Amino acid sequence: MNIVVLVKQVPDSGAERSLRADDNTVDRGAASNVINEMDEYAIEEALKITEAHGGEVTVLTMGPAGASDSIRKALSMGPAKAVHIVDDALRGSCAVSTSKVIAAALGGLNADIILCGSESTDGRVQVLPHMLAERLGVAALTGARKLTVDGSTLTIERQTDEGYEVVTASTPAVVSVWDTINEPRYPSFKGIMAAKKKPVDTKSLADLGVDASEVGFAGATSTVLDHAQRPPRSAGQKVVDEGDGGVKLVEYLATEKFV
Amino acid sequence: MDFSLSDEERAIRDTVRSFVVKEVLPLEDTVLRRERAHEPGLHLEELRELQQKARKFGFWGLATPEEYGGMGLPAVVQSLIWTELGRTIVPFRFGGEADNILFYANDAQKEEFLLPTIEGTRISCFAITEPGAGSDAANITMSARQDGDDWILNGEKTFITNGNEADFAIVVAVTDRSLGARKGGATAFLVDRSMGWRSEFIQTMGEGGPASLIFEDVRVPSRNILGEVGKGFELGMQWIGKGRYTIPSHAIGIAERALEMALAHARSRETFGRAIGENQAIQWMIADSEVELEAARMLVLRAAWTVDSGRDPRHASSMAKLYGASMVNNVVDRVLQIHGGMGYTRELPIERWYRQVRLYRIFEGTDEMQRLIISRDLLRGYTMIGL
Ligand SMILES: Cc1cc2nc3c(=O)[nH]c(=O)nc-3n(C[C@H](O)[C@H](O)[C@H](O)COP(=O)(O)OP(=O)(O)OC[C@H]3O[C@@H](n4cnc5c(N)ncnc54)[C@H](O)[C@@H]3O)c2cc1C
Ligand SMILES: Cc1cc2nc3c(=O)[nH]c(=O)nc-3n(C[C@H](O)[C@H](O)[C@H](O)COP(=O)(O)OP(=O)(O)OC[C@H]3O[C@@H](n4cnc5c(N)ncnc54)[C@H](O)[C@@H]3O)c2cc1C
Repeated sequence: MNIVVLVKQVPDSGAERSLRADDNTVDRGAASNVINEMDEYAIEEALKITEAHGGEVTVLTMGPAGASDSIRKALSMGPAKAVHIVDDALRGSCAVSTSKVIAAALGGLNADIILCGSESTDGRVQVLPHMLAERLGVAALTGARKLTVDGSTLTIERQTDEGYEVVTASTPAVVSVWDTINEPRYPSFKGIMAAKKKPVDTKSLADLGVDASEVGFAGATSTVLDHAQRPPRSAGQKVVDEGDGGVKLVEYLATEKFV
Repeated sequence: MDFSLSDEERAIRDTVRSFVVKEVLPLEDTVLRRERAHEPGLHLEELRELQQKARKFGFWGLATPEEYGGMGLPAVVQSLIWTELGRTIVPFRFGGEADNILFYANDAQKEEFLLPTIEGTRISCFAITEPGAGSDAANITMSARQDGDDWILNGEKTFITNGNEADFAIVVAVTDRSLGARKGGATAFLVDRSMGWRSEFIQTMGEGGPASLIFEDVRVPSRNILGEVGKGFELGMQWIGKGRYTIPSHAIGIAERALEMALAHARSRETFGRAIGENQAIQWMIADSEVELEAARMLVLRAAWTVDSGRDPRHASSMAKLYGASMVNNVVDRVLQIHGGMGYTRELPIERWYRQVRLYRIFEGTDEMQRLIISRDLLRGYTMIGL
């Protein structure tokens, strides 16, 4: 099995995050940057599959030069090598153009499975896996809480609000995972020491044959025009219990569509 | 001059940090609750379980050489790790460690003492301090009298960490009264508890406590001598030398965490209609703490670097231990003050740190002993100012 895992560097969701005042993009300079949490589960799943069935794991990242920190961290968990797409023209890319660039990079990688997190904690649009599958003309096994590999047949349990759906496809396919799928390993001491020597192939837009005008701010299909702080929480609504407190509570929950 | 960590150093530190956050921090409430009930915060089995979990990804034996299954880490990296461990009140440490001087054991002793200590199946303690000899460790009087191929030990050791739990002790005793400890009169013995010493628990202001070890005609065979006859004092000093950078490394972690708590409290606690952090009185406490914390970090990392670079680490380590211990006492005191009445309660870990870090100015060389070493080496011209 040849597996490519998509790894995105994002601002740490546990720390203060902000958007830039000038162009409304995520302020990556101010934030402390980490691997998108969900991607660690994708890496773990890829490693488990290759440990059981053989094969090689490649990390694929599109991001600024500083994302190399996250690539090293990913490599220290066990993958063999990485591809890093870096190009100044990529800043401001929307999901549509991001999928275009990643699809172009995947072209040369010959993956049986493309594993990724179901969402990233900065954008949270959840569309990239589907767009990628569409561009590559392969199946989209998204939102997995379990993945089984049987020869070239992939079966996932797709997590839904009500329960799960069993979905099957044959390789190659895009599989996106939730954090219910496994428990990511810690980078091992040996893995950390080995990560530096693992090859990281840096690619520019020109290397991938993608025109700069199709990506970044230039090619964005959506643009953030403005942003504002979330308004402070307004005072809650007090329910006085006059023997009918329970009913009043349920009525409130119903009007707010919680029940 | 480059103050940044290498990729590997950062990766190791980050891995320890996430291990602490995911596996160790969740135990804090339990530890605090048990300690409030005067029970040990973390049971030995729980510690071992965490250590085995870390061993699975290779974090085992920070200082233990690779041929013994350890990581053989440079002192700088060990220091970074001890700082991370200082960020939790849970008394966690990585497994696979043994007293540095146990590595001088001969092959038979390695089998019997070193390897099981690394593995965690035996527990050691190191005993030099006596009721009549602490700072002046060369003044020890515990006697070891030769009797055929055995030695008979008599006397008392005190304040011995792990003395209650240990099943063997590394004991420094006087083998030749005419020479004096420093001049070849003291020897280190590996003494099984089953040979007849007993321990008595000593209550302290900290959690847990050390022990007195009482030796009454304890018979120890010659094969249990660690190193050579007459070399016990040197071994003792080497044992103590190790703590000179691990203790302040730990102190830095405690101070980081405590200061973070103080920042959060200063932002959110309001008096007289505004956050207390808007008052200069609070701001100055925060600023002073941060400056001292970072100064200690520099001293400690430099001391560790001195160890790694093969220089005599004594001067740098004494400065790091002296300053690091005093820094954490100052910071915890201010952080407690910023928390007002809450800081004084046992709901928060602050008062626990307050009790814990007081020890740092006492053991493994008191403040005064560090000052003695620092000034003596300057006065006799062994160390030059500015180097
Ligand atoms: C919790 C705990 C754990 C310990 N663990 C161990 C252990 O595992 N193994 C072990 O062997 N020991 C251990 N010790 C002992 C520790 O190393 C000693 O307590 C320490 O060396 C100080 O010795 P002392 O208590 O006898 O104080 P003293 O030496 O009596 O000193 C009393 C005071 O006088 C000062 N002083 C002494 N001489 C001078 C001088 N010349 N000039 C200026 N001031 C001076 C000291 O700095 C101190 O302030 C432990 C102690 C504690 C409290
Ligand atoms: C053991 C104990 C017994 C007590 N007994 C009693 C009792 O019997 N009866 C009773 O009524 N209360 C009692 N108290 C409460 C005690 O008086 C308060 O804890 C104390 O007044 C501090 O208030 P606080 O804890 O709310 O701290 P805060 O008022 O929140 O202060 C937090 C920190 O901010 C500082 N600070 C606050 N405002 C300013 C400012 N404007 N400028 C600069 N710094 C500022 C404070 O000095 C402190 O360092 C007791 C407390 C304890 C711990």
